[in-house]
Amino acid sequence: MLKGKKWLSVLFAGLLVFALAACSNGEDSGGGSGNANELTFWAPFSGPDGPKMKEIVEEYNKSQDKYEVTLQIVPQSEYYKTVDLAVNGEKNMPDFLIMHGDQILTYANKDVLKSLDDIVGDKIQKDAYHPKGWENATVDGTLYGVPLDIHPLMFYWNKDLFEKAGLDPNKPPKNREEFLEYAQKLTNKDEQQWGFVVPTLWPQQFIFPTIVNQNGGRLLENGELQYTSEPVVEALQFERDLIEKYEVSPANVQQDGEVTLFLQGKNAMHLNGPWMMNQWEDSGINYGVAPVPQLGTEQQAVFANSHNFVIPKAVDDKKVDGITNFLNYVSENGMAWAESGQAPAAKATYESEEFQKLKQQPEVAKQFDNAVFSPKVENWGQISDPLYNAVNEVLLGQKEAKEALEEAQKQAQQYLK
Amino acid sequence: MNKRKSSFTSALFVLPYFIMFMAFLVIPLLYGLYISFHDYGLLSNDRPFVGLDNYIAIFNPDSYLSSLFFEGLWNTFQFVIYSVPLLVIIGLGLALLVNSMPAKLRGFFRTVYFIPYSISVSVIAIIWLWLLDTNSGLINNYLTKMGFDPIPWLTTMPYAWISIVAATLWWTIGFNMIIFINALNEVPEDLYEASSIDGASAWQKFIHITLPSIRPIMLFVIITSTIASFNIYGQPYLMTGGGPGDSTEVLLMGIVEQAFEQRQLGSASAMAIIMALIMIIVSIIQFKISNPAKKGGEQ
Repeated sequence: MLKGKKWLSVLFAGLLVFALAACSNGEDSGGGSGNANELTFWAPFSGPDGPKMKEIVEEYNKSQDKYEVTLQIVPQSEYYKTVDLAVNGEKNMPDFLIMHGDQILTYANKDVLKSLDDIVGDKIQKDAYHPKGWENATVDGTLYGVPLDIHPLMFYWNKDLFEKAGLDPNKPPKNREEFLEYAQKLTNKDEQQWGFVVPTLWPQQFIFPTIVNQNGGRLLENGELQYTSEPVVEALQFERDLIEKYEVSPANVQQDGEVTLFLQGKNAMHLNGPWMMNQWEDSGINYGVAPVPQLGTEQQAVFANSHNFVIPKAVDDKKVDGITNFLNYVSENGMAWAESGQAPAAKATYESEEFQKLKQQPEVAKQFDNAVFSPKVENWGQISDPLYNAVNEVLLGQKEAKEALEEAQKQAQQYLK
Repeated sequence: MNKRKSSFTSALFVLPYFIMFMAFLVIPLLYGLYISFHDYGLLSNDRPFVGLDNYIAIFNPDSYLSSLFFEGLWNTFQFVIYSVPLLVIIGLGLALLVNSMPAKLRGFFRTVYFIPYSISVSVIAIIWLWLLDTNSGLINNYLTKMGFDPIPWLTTMPYAWISIVAATLWWTIGFNMIIFINALNEVPEDLYEASSIDGASAWQKFIHITLPSIRPIMLFVIITSTIASFNIYGQPYLMTGGGPGDSTEVLLMGIVEQAFEQRQLGSASAMAIIMALIMIIVSIIQFKISNPAKKGGEQ
């Protein structure tokens, strides 16, 4: 019996050693492979956009002999966890990777990204991209990313329903008055058909800041939360009025309820990101796409995020030549990326004739000038969480706009260090 | 010598499980405990030892961690309280029902009830989202056809909990049912025969023979169902998004958010460990209640 126990403890010790050895393994493999011409590239494109990026990488590898890019796709839900572990341990790290614009600040503050200030302007031309692309990749005046695309909120409408309601199916609303007028004409409660079904959860994270900015407001200004400011309250009240006062939306819309109704042809107008295009295409609905109408009271604006190429700080400078060579290739040959529904931020692509012939993508690019991005503050996800709980409860009719936003502001204040 | 050899052989048989147990349970658990004593930012290189600070923060009512933890815990508790009794009673009911069927149908229905258990939670959530949709779902469609008002299944209380519990039941009930079926088959047939001779009714047989005979299995099902219910995550995450407001935001959602959105593995690990302790305590209480004063010879 004693022998058995001793034996087990030897085994246990052995396993621990094994586990520790496995943990410290690969310490020397920091910065991907050792060869400066072999580049690993990570991206979160696990949807229909993945094959498009793959196509670009393959074409690039064929176009020249010097560099070899290997694309590794990590599913979106796992992406930043995987990036964190790799970048932090400097183990099995990619040489460059895709990063959303709203994530760059966190990584830049942790000092794990290479500053691109010396590279852009030299190896990469600044005016080859839309200036808004640079804006979302800059933190405190330092540039950390090269934009791949900008994806703003889009306006979609059902052309068949427009026709049925006696509206011009090729003329989307441009402002709040037109939007309300159309929405009321498009609503037919007896047939369970709605003008604009108001979502109560995602994608409010794109819709709500769009209307706030159109109202001339901000959610955060000079480090101060603005949840209770007039433009923010007005935006929320406006959305609620769509349900209760104008009655162009059903109440109690659940997660993705507005998408289901749009796909069923019972929701005439819809706001969502350009990534939804493939779903509309597959469903066969007769849809139109345009810039978001001015639903706010003051100005045109649209909330957006972006995909950017970034380089981990620990990557060897010798690799930068290869990376910039690839990025310049992507900027000249971005049509494959446009086919995924996105609008590349490179002028060579979005100004090209071929691009302008597409249906959705030129409409996306039209909104670049008006794009506004996530506030540049750490933990914005956490700080805005109480806000979207308030939006949810107000749009479900369970709380009043002003009081809910006051509570949200109080709660969010805790997170704002 | 011979004895030593045989215990060595037995150890070999345990080895595969032991390795898995170490690699996927003990080592991560100890590592989690280690992390919980540190200010462990996922992206920072400096991860100082902070002792019990992470735990203290959870119990400090002024810290946001405290509201994150206790609100999540309360929502999780609600789910456990609603779901466990139903998981056990309906599981047993289905097992009795399936067992009383003709032998040919039994296999068929056993499979039918078990199939949902093998489907992933994302598919379950999508099926139920479509069934329950307020404005375009199947169930409300029938309700309105029959002249009732549509019910906002996922956006108001108490319907949000009802929907989540219903989806969970449909998803996991097959597992409990299979275990109960096996337990029922183990009950010696002669007990029933003897009681029939004594003139016992079906209900009396159930109360006095079936229930006492399957008691150890019952305890097993109650404890595994409780643990599984504590670990609720996918259903509210995908079906209600934690809403309305944050009333279905369960503890695991908070822990995952703290770990991977805030990248604070230290406090997230501390939350996870307190959660595990609570689950252990609840399981012990259940065990004590179901097995008051363990009787000598009985199992």
